[in-house]
Amino acid sequence: MKLFVSEGNPHCVKALAALELSGLKCDVQLVNHEERVVPFLNRPVIPVLLLPSGQHLFSANAICQLLLEMAGKSTDESKQLLEWEATELQPALLQALHKQALQGKSSEAAAVLKGPLGWLDQYLSKRTTSFLTEEILADIVLGAALYPVLSDPAFEVGDLPSLQAWFNHVRELPACQSAAQKVLNGKGLEALKGFLQKQPVPHLQRRDSPPS
Amino acid sequence: MALRELSSLEKCLGLKKPNKYSTQGERKVPVLQNNNGPAVVGLVTIASSLVRDAKKTELLGNTAEQRAVVQQWLEYRVTRLDSCTKDEVKVILKELNHYLEDKVYLAGNSFTLADVLMYYGIHYIIMELAVQEKEKYLNVTRWFDHIQHYPGVRHHLPPVVVLRNRVYPSGQH
Repeated sequence: MKLFVSEGNPHCVKALAALELSGLKCDVQLVNHEERVVPFLNRPVIPVLLLPSGQHLFSANAICQLLLEMAGKSTDESKQLLEWEATELQPALLQALHKQALQGKSSEAAAVLKGPLGWLDQYLSKRTTSFLTEEILADIVLGAALYPVLSDPAFEVGDLPSLQAWFNHVRELPACQSAAQKVLNGKGLEALKGFLQKQPVPHLQRRDSPPS
Repeated sequence: MALRELSSLEKCLGLKKPNKYSTQGERKVPVLQNNNGPAVVGLVTIASSLVRDAKKTELLGNTAEQRAVVQQWLEYRVTRLDSCTKDEVKVILKELNHYLEDKVYLAGNSFTLADVLMYYGIHYIIMELAVQEKEKYLNVTRWFDHIQHYPGVRHHLPPVVVLRNRVYPSGQH
């Protein structure tokens, strides 16, 4: 197996943290944002896990799922939160990062994140443990995705005590710490600029649903 | 749309008792209320739980590797395909066409939930393709035709005519 990662890309924090938690041996290659590792995808997507079968896994969440499953950890309970992360959180997150890091519009960035972060805070407030599930998968995926936002005081996320407490637990996990250090170099939002400039401009408006 | 698709999936899986779904939020995310536990939210999560109810977990993949590939294409369906603009439709068709070049199904050699949900999600796009475009995305059309004829899959959707012989000589698109 071979894992391709690039600097300043929060999805790579997910993959590297999962790799470390899994304890598996895997080549890690650092590539730049423009590198097209997956031949069938039109635009460069990183991280990518090249499987022994020759298949490319290009979804960071699927990569994390596989690495943890291979290490014998259960992942079923995390799936619902992973779907929420991919469909609800990511579009808002990408838009907020664009606004904050590239345009310096912090109040607009905060407005975009209000809904999803509020939801997550609510969800966590009902939990009796420090983590999202009994498994580690959802914590790694959501923690890494939100790392640039929650570790940077420039983001005005408001008063979300359960979310902050949870994030402090996740960022202290050694696997998460070292992954974030490798990918973001302790440079915070600055580190993300190169990655964000290569992402398609996020749009939250969707095409009308097809007639059903 | 997601609700019709879930009810077709129930039939496809041979589940006898239909579930009642509701939706939440602007995106009308499907929700399945459970009597004996918390609600199940999201198309992929609900579909996977139906597969487990029907005891057909092979549709989620037989190995850890295959399960990850299935998960990846399910994610592609609800992120890339479901939110694509008109211009992006061509990109998606191109990507899938390239990917399916040497594959029978999305997860390789076996039919999985990824094929079913991708088929439901892409149906309206394939319906609108002209014959010439269908030939341009030949691997997608071949896969699509295969899935629409797979026993029990089609249900609420009209069949799409796919010509098995080329009308236009290749290279003249």
